[in-house]
Amino acid sequence: MKEQITKLEQKAYDIRKATLEMCIKAGTGHVTSCMSCIDILVALYYGEVMRYNPANPNWPDRDRLFISKGQASPALYAMLADCGYFDVTELEQFAQKYGKFGVHLQKSVPGVEATCGSLGHGFGIAAGVALGAKMNRELYLVFTILGDGECYEGSIWETAMFASHNGLNNLVAFVDRNAMCVTDFTENLLALEPMVNKWESFGWDVTRINGHCFDEILDSLSGIRSRKSNRPLVVIADTVKGEGIDFMSNIPLWHGVAPKGKDAEKARIALQRRYQNE
Amino acid sequence: MSNMTQRDVFWNKIYDLAKKDRNIVVVSADMGAPALDKFRVDLPEQFVNVGIAEQNAILIATGLAMTGKHPFVYAIAPFVTLRCLEQIRVENSIMNIPITIVGVGAGFGYDDSGPTHHLIEDIAILRAMPNIVINSISDNVMAGAVAEKSCSMPVTNYVRLDRLPSRDIYDEGTKFNEGLAVLQKGNDGYILTTGDMANTALDVARKLKRNNLSVGVVDIYSIPINESLLTQTIEQVKFIVTLEEHFLPGGLGSAVCEILADANVSIPVKRIGLSLKKGYCYEYGGREEIRKYYGIDTDGVLKQLKDFISAYDT
Repeated sequence: MKEQITKLEQKAYDIRKATLEMCIKAGTGHVTSCMSCIDILVALYYGEVMRYNPANPNWPDRDRLFISKGQASPALYAMLADCGYFDVTELEQFAQKYGKFGVHLQKSVPGVEATCGSLGHGFGIAAGVALGAKMNRELYLVFTILGDGECYEGSIWETAMFASHNGLNNLVAFVDRNAMCVTDFTENLLALEPMVNKWESFGWDVTRINGHCFDEILDSLSGIRSRKSNRPLVVIADTVKGEGIDFMSNIPLWHGVAPKGKDAEKARIALQRRYQNE
Repeated sequence: MSNMTQRDVFWNKIYDLAKKDRNIVVVSADMGAPALDKFRVDLPEQFVNVGIAEQNAILIATGLAMTGKHPFVYAIAPFVTLRCLEQIRVENSIMNIPITIVGVGAGFGYDDSGPTHHLIEDIAILRAMPNIVINSISDNVMAGAVAEKSCSMPVTNYVRLDRLPSRDIYDEGTKFNEGLAVLQKGNDGYILTTGDMANTALDVARKLKRNNLSVGVVDIYSIPINESLLTQTIEQVKFIVTLEEHFLPGGLGSAVCEILADANVSIPVKRIGLSLKKGYCYEYGGREEIRKYYGIDTDGVLKQLKDFISAYDT
């Protein structure tokens, strides 16, 4: 287990570094929004959780992952490149002329299930796919990652109600609870708490974890294919917006931007330092 | 005129198809119909009620489509188009995941329900997006035919049903493959119309005949419009009039004018529809009263048309 965690930590560093570099090169991208959900992504792809096949992205039995917070696209692109869905050199063209993908998530990229940019969409599509899987007697799982700011969208709660009513226990949602939105902390601008109670009252199984602790992420997903519950599962993952780059973390002004010039170098050093301290 | 509404005909057909095809799934925003009551009882695994939640209806339907289903989202027309417009834009237009969106209550179908339930902007809004076909239904024969071909359409299919029973226009067995149909041939001019207004257009054409004017009627039932067939159809006439129960900006008349301009066709055109200056209305007493208010009842159209003809004649 310890060995696995060390491997995942190393991967998390690689993906954070690749994400940061692609955003620095493009001069754009939601760096801090990516950093908060990278450990969840790494656990899903490299923690022996998801079933997937980079050589056959449309493999019918694959588990589906919908990144509903589409602004985290650079993190997923870096992840998919690392898995071998496409050549890592594609990352260098991110959001630039001749690039195959940009700031928000795009379905045409191998390994991406749905275009997401406007919030409150991917989650509902994921629920529709989960329902279709049940109707078709398919056994794959449907994962989705929501932003906490995305939970302000009313459609999220339409879907939440629907998924539990229909017993979609093949649906697993992560809420990337980095506690920040665009201009401020969520609890200052419009309180989202108590999140656990909200989701419970909508009929979901809920667990709350440290979203940067691989032990806890993997623990929340243990036995995920043999859950006895009829309810969908939501993992509220407490995270830090900007995790890994201390000076960019928890600062509203770093939302949706990439570090430039001296800040870019500072970010590289901060990230390296964070992982050297592990 | 049959007592059945377009909605009944449409859902009866879908019910018959769904019995043979398990992939047909109805996603209802808590909207009913007699045929759907039957559907819910006989085919419960193919019927999903999302509650009055149109945004989620489109999302769930899109997800279902991604698993090989043929989803039919059903709700009151203004709500299943405008409330969830962004879901339609992203999921069905941008991503091009085909579903069928069935809205009942085009135009002033929900006559006495007031402007929240009137739908007089949808053609302008939905035709502005790629990968969406608007099927503007004018009678029961067409409702059944469009139901039949809905599952095989490669793009999203918005079926714009009238709420009130409609007069029969087409013969049973008519194929609706061309996107528009000449209901009555004209030598002088054509009224180009859509949906239930086809009946008003036919009434107007009949009355004009008494004035020795040969004005034909074209029912444009599919948008984007079949451009070549449209320009070919109007080739021999001296004027055209567009008629719609829809606000004028961006509507059927605008779509026709765009085609004529792009094809360099020079012909006098009069657009008859709802003026923005009149705005939304709280008129009661039935659909005809509302149409009178906007000047699109038979007499109002006749007057506008005669004024137009005398103006361009001089």
